[in-house]
Amino acid sequence: MSLLQEVWQAVKAIGTGMATVHKRVYEEAPTEFYPYVKPDLPPVSVQSLALVENEDGSERCIVCLQCERACPAQVITIERHRNPEGKGFLIDRFDIDLVNCMYCAACVEACPVSSIVTIQDFEMSTYDLRTLRADIDFLHEQARNSRQWYSPKFGVEIRTEDGRIEKAPPEMQPGGLAEILKPAEEVDS
Amino acid sequence: MSTMNLEPVPGRTDEMIVNMGPQHPATHGVLRVVLGLEGERITRAVPHIGYLHRNHEKIEEARTYPMVIPYTDRMDYVSGTQNELPFVLAIEDMLGVEVPDRARKIRTMFFELFRLASHLVWMGTAMLDLGAISPFLYTFWDREIILGIVEKTAGARMLPNYYTFGGVRRDVHPDFFKEVADLLDHLERRMVDYEHLVLESPVVHARTIGVGVLSKERAIARGVSGPVLRASGVAYDVRKAFPYDAYPDVEFEIPTSPDGDTYARFWVRFQEMYQSIRILRQLLELTPKTGPFKGKAPARIKPPAGERYRAVENSRGELGVFVISDGTDKPYRVKHRGAAFSNLQIIPDLFIGAKFSDAIAILSSLDPVFGEIDR
Repeated sequence: MSLLQEVWQAVKAIGTGMATVHKRVYEEAPTEFYPYVKPDLPPVSVQSLALVENEDGSERCIVCLQCERACPAQVITIERHRNPEGKGFLIDRFDIDLVNCMYCAACVEACPVSSIVTIQDFEMSTYDLRTLRADIDFLHEQARNSRQWYSPKFGVEIRTEDGRIEKAPPEMQPGGLAEILKPAEEVDS
Repeated sequence: MSTMNLEPVPGRTDEMIVNMGPQHPATHGVLRVVLGLEGERITRAVPHIGYLHRNHEKIEEARTYPMVIPYTDRMDYVSGTQNELPFVLAIEDMLGVEVPDRARKIRTMFFELFRLASHLVWMGTAMLDLGAISPFLYTFWDREIILGIVEKTAGARMLPNYYTFGGVRRDVHPDFFKEVADLLDHLERRMVDYEHLVLESPVVHARTIGVGVLSKERAIARGVSGPVLRASGVAYDVRKAFPYDAYPDVEFEIPTSPDGDTYARFWVRFQEMYQSIRILRQLLELTPKTGPFKGKAPARIKPPAGERYRAVENSRGELGVFVISDGTDKPYRVKHRGAAFSNLQIIPDLFIGAKFSDAIAILSSLDPVFGEIDR
């Protein structure tokens, strides 16, 4: 290859590279201005876990221990005792070690009453890992602070302005709508 | 001389022992290679692995079958759902679970989306190793779109935990098919740019052509697979040899190159991306928009006693899993056959005789992911 050819090759390569880079300069950047603009995450996105209470403040969880059994990382610890008046169980302890949790949402799949749900709050970074050993109050607080949450049984649920819990409209729901639109009673029984 | 550490040969003063890694930015993770250098030439090379060992296989023995799936995700963290498939296929075989046709196609679509995502990461980091920064920014930009599509359906970006015994966990998002079609149009435009920046660049030619030549015989003898094997001229692809899921329904080619050098491995990965786009285009046509996404699997997964090996072709090669069941709800043994692990053992073959700067190019052309190698 003659020197002239080599020079031409180099010029051509620089030209093509510059042209390609130049094309991108005017495209919309995919970066997000995160602390100022919150990202719009899809409702199924698994960022953290929460324990939902009913509208009247009573416990939705029936303490069936399904989530504890389904957890691959085995971070859920539940203790319970029989309800002295009426049937069912009452919670003594409901802890999730969110440090070792791997956010696979297996507990959410297993829950028969959609009490444990996934939420989109990802801002849980901390200097002290002990704050991520979530007890039942922490998990309730997470649910109270979130506007919407997801579980495979009920689909996306939203908290309205006046504090009621409603099923989100179909356009907010992810795939598998037929399964989600099943009435809640059917699942409970 | 111990095999773990290279020791200077007595009387040889011209050889220098250099430790590359485990924190070297070009090793794609935590690989440590002890190199004997004679000037610029590498005379000896001993790779050390295990810095990311997390005891996956042993943990999986203590978990029930559905619990193993999220753990398999965490092996090759760049290619997401591809890791789940061999385990899911093996258990489905043992249980005799029927997978609906639509679920197979959705699984294959996710498989190919993650192949594109993984190859984009490879392209960016390989070019970063060669000294080019712009392709890295662009490929991660495009990968972001793929991960966005995955997150909308599966709920997580890199570790989706999406496949399950008998199909997939939930139906795809209503926008999924439209978004994939848009992505493919976008990627086809972008691939032209990538060809300009990577395959046609004289700098890449100078750094890769004729560097790190792996002969066909050596490749077969060392058990490498995937693009590294196909770049040495062996047309072996698990998708064609032992078809699974929806691959029998689609048409695609196995790109091979007779050269076996670093450039050939680059070229083969590029062609694979074109084939992935082609497969996804066909699947967009073939997949019904609505229908079942999950077959009937038993509530408690208890495969009959026996053993099963299933393999898939992931972004790096043959990813297999060998499961032994003793009839209980926990596997007796799970052995993963990692493609990146097998590909990594040709390092001494390729490094010895190469220049030190070529070693970086050779390593990036092998595309190792240490989550899978160390497991």
